[in-house]
Parts: sequence; structure tokens; C-alpha cells
Amino acid sequence: MASILITCRQAHALLSGQRDATLGWRQRLRLRIHLLGCDACAIVGRNLALLGRAVRALDLHAGD
Amino acid sequence: MARPVDSEPAAGDAGQLLGALRPTLLRLARLQLRNEAWAEDAVSETLLAAVEGLRGFDRRSQLRTWVVGILKHKIIDQFRRSGREVSLDAQAEVDGGDDLEELFAADGHRAAPPVDWGDPQGSLERTEFFAVLQACLDQLPAALARAFLLREWMGFETADICKELQVTSTNCFVMLYRARMRLRECLEARWFAGEAPTRHG
Repeated sequence: MASILITCRQAHALLSGQRDATLGWRQRLRLRIHLLGCDACAIVGRNLALLGRAVRALDLHAGD
Repeated sequence: MARPVDSEPAAGDAGQLLGALRPTLLRLARLQLRNEAWAEDAVSETLLAAVEGLRGFDRRSQLRTWVVGILKHKIIDQFRRSGREVSLDAQAEVDGGDDLEELFAADGHRAAPPVDWGDPQGSLERTEFFAVLQACLDQLPAALARAFLLREWMGFETADICKELQVTSTNCFVMLYRARMRLRECLEARWFAGEAPTRHG
């Protein structure tokens, strides 16, 4: 984990992890750098944000 | 905004409103608890608490939000009563080792690019979308659904979720990660890639 460059697999774990805890600055930096060059992970990050919003909206929309 | 003098609902009226909410409450409780008997108990306790608290409740437009809030507390009570069983499910899930291998190539990069969901705001206004979301949650292993909903629906801190489920914090993160990736795949396959109902404008 010494390298500043990470794989999509590692980036996915950080994209999920940042929704559960504050990432350390090294992890944040690695993720940011990865996202600069990786559209796929950027999309997944946006998807996870939407997933969170959608689940909170279950209060109003579930079961209908 | 001033409260109208006659805003307190008549008892029969309020009972009807609460009764109409029961199927929704049951659906939410089932999603989170994954156990029919526990869900029935949590909903019964919720309706009882709502009936008892209704006299002091004067914002009828927010009745649903208020009752769902009560339900969330009752769900937590139920988790605490069923701690051992919930913990065993979580442990089995962690030991089961779903590594989502198919998502990544051997070098750790994505095997197939994800579909861009575009502007998904339109989806959040559609009842059909929430039916798909609920179906995707139903497909998750129970332990993953519980962890994920504790976090993203009920807003628990991750440390508290680990405590409720009695798993280490590493395993907690692993479960949340697996849940999100499975849900993302499911929504993509069943909603965003299929009918792609994005509305523009």
C-alpha cells in the first residue's frame, strides 16, 4: 500500500469507506489521484452517493 | 405557522391514517429485520406508541415521517432482543467471503465499465424505482441488508453498527462495501441499464 497509485478494486473500497468514516489524508490523496484518471470509479462514486439518497427516500416511498 | 385550533385529528380518523400506514411500515421493517415475526412485533409496537402519542401530535402532514421515526427505534429494540442471532448471521456472512471477484480483472482494474446513471433525479420521483430498490435489498444476504440499512437508512455511526452486529470494525466495513457493490450492480442491471428511464429537463 506504499504506492500512491491504486487499483480500481482499492478505489472501490475507499469510495465505500468514505461513506462510513473519514479517510486519512494518504487514502484521500490516493483516491483523488485515481479518480482523476479513472472514469469508471468516478461513476461508481456518484452511483454510491445516489444509492444513499435513494435509501433515505424510502421513508416516503417504500411499500407503495 | 400558527396552529389551527381544530387541527387535532379525531380519534377514528387518526386510527384510519395509522392503519393505512401499516403495510408500508411492515415493508420497511421486513427490509431491515429480515424476519417476519420480528417485523410484525416492531410494527405492532410502533402503532401502539403512535396511538398513545397521537394526542400531542398536531402536524398531520408529517404523520408518516413521524411514525417511520418511531419504527426505526422499535427496529433497534428488536435488534437488541435478537442480538445473538443477528450476530451469527453477520459472522457467517463475513466468513462466507464474497469477494466480488467478477467485478475486477486480475490486475485489480474493473472488468467492465459501469453504466453512467446520468441524471438520476427523475428516478427518485418514480414509484417503480423504489419497487426495484426494495427488490434489490431483498436479494442481499440478511446480514448485509441489516448493516447497510443501519448505516444509510437509519444513519447510525459505523462504530455503533459494529457494536449492534457484534463484528469487528474491519468486518463492518467489508459488509457495507459488499452491500453497496451488490446493490449498485442490481440497480444498474434492473433499472438504469434496462429501461433507462432517464428524464431530461
